[in-house]
Amino acid sequence: MRRFAAAAVLAGLAFVGLATPALAHNSLVDSNPKDKASVETGPQTVKLTFDQPVQNVEGINTISVLDPQGNHWEAAPPQVDSTVVSAPVRPLGPSGVYQISWRVLSADGHPVQGQLSFTLSKAGNGTPLPADELAKFKNGAGTAQPGATEDSGGIPTWVWIVGAVVVLGAGIVFALRMGGKEEDA
Amino acid sequence: MPYRTTAAPRLALVGVLVMAAIIGVLIGLTITATSALPGIVEPDAVVRYGIPVVRVLLDMAAVVTVGLSLLPLLIGFDRPKLAEAVLAGTRRVAVISALTWAVTALVALVLQTAELRLSQSVTLDAIWDYVRTVGAGKALVAVFLFAMLCAVLAVWTVRKGESVPAELRAAAALFTLLPLPVTGHATDWSWHDITMVSMELHVLAAVAWTGGLGAVVVLLAANRTLLAHALPRFSKLATVCIAVSAVTGLFNGFAELLLTPGSSVWRDLFGTGYGLLVLFKIVCIVLLGLLGANIRWRLLPGIMRHQRTALAGWATAELTIMGLAFGFAVVLTRAPVA
Repeated sequence: MRRFAAAAVLAGLAFVGLATPALAHNSLVDSNPKDKASVETGPQTVKLTFDQPVQNVEGINTISVLDPQGNHWEAAPPQVDSTVVSAPVRPLGPSGVYQISWRVLSADGHPVQGQLSFTLSKAGNGTPLPADELAKFKNGAGTAQPGATEDSGGIPTWVWIVGAVVVLGAGIVFALRMGGKEEDA
Repeated sequence: MPYRTTAAPRLALVGVLVMAAIIGVLIGLTITATSALPGIVEPDAVVRYGIPVVRVLLDMAAVVTVGLSLLPLLIGFDRPKLAEAVLAGTRRVAVISALTWAVTALVALVLQTAELRLSQSVTLDAIWDYVRTVGAGKALVAVFLFAMLCAVLAVWTVRKGESVPAELRAAAALFTLLPLPVTGHATDWSWHDITMVSMELHVLAAVAWTGGLGAVVVLLAANRTLLAHALPRFSKLATVCIAVSAVTGLFNGFAELLLTPGSSVWRDLFGTGYGLLVLFKIVCIVLLGLLGANIRWRLLPGIMRHQRTALAGWATAELTIMGLAFGFAVVLTRAPVA
């Protein structure tokens, strides 16, 4: 047991030296418009408030506003101000239920997502966001293929995985072939 | 090499543990599955299923590495010849498991970058960006570096035998466990530091317990002399581990349920995927407690008298449940509460 204690103390000392950053999963605490609200005129911006700051990494945080036909009405990619993520909205068109879908990078590094809806009771005269504008957001909003908006030159994930398996295989061969203590004798 | 022949039949137990862990992941993913949101692109299926599977393989590599590094301490140093016969065969396995630990950390890093970028391909720049901006990225890099250190120590041990201090190997392996848990759930209230420490203790206890049991049963079950020595020591370690993992697990699970804004503990415990996984893990630890008590009070006296016992069968059941619990844990750290 004494040697256990020694190992535990060594690991414990190392642990003290390891600074633990404040990390957590974000939750939505407030929004404008509120979920399931009914409005006469469309909001100029969608504002989502979280319990903790959202990490501002370009091209990750997404807010989309969709009408029942699946047209996009958000006017630009969202802006992050600490705990508040907001995106401007175009003047809305037909009345009906609009869906707000969001995906943000949580303080702990996990992407979290969710959905709200609001009802537009009086039709406006706006037009939806054209698809070529949406493609410029580069944040995964829209129905485009996941690979469509990204720059070329990336290595597909399966190639990384195969590469890792090959490296590991080489390591195993090395481990089994290297000279050991028992062969020295 | 007689130690090879006695150890070989029990290696199937490692397969049982890993399979149970993967099944646990799949059950967890089914429970917490969410439907795709309109207007938001889902990550690729390779990424969605790949991340938890790679993370549980990383955990299993950690369990094997920690278990093998604890084994010399469990056997003790008063029977060097007998011990050497068993330990010599494990050293190359420790090199392989430490390398697996390091490589799975890198694969997890690539897949988590792809998850964030919603892309099927990943550039080195994107990975660097992930490491710079996201805590989990830094933690995975740290795990890779420490696991490589464990691999170097393991190679050194293959060459020099037990003259490489066993405490050093155990401390390096336990320390490699520490960076990742801090990047899972942890709440942001005033008790933040306590939930963090509690999460670390939970992981240390769970891995030491599973790894220790696996190493003792896989390598020593056929060797009654060493088993009579090592199992009582492991039993003490296991008692501490079960207490620590139960207390810290309950504390962290309920802290997460309590402190998520707009949640209600009882409704979320039975009504959300997160809550169900917490309940599953509570069932796991109750079963593990019963199985452990059975080994401790019904089998251990016989083992200490060098008698044949049904240890391998009971330990297989225990390792299966431990594997499931690891699988649930991987999904739990990634699942949203609400």
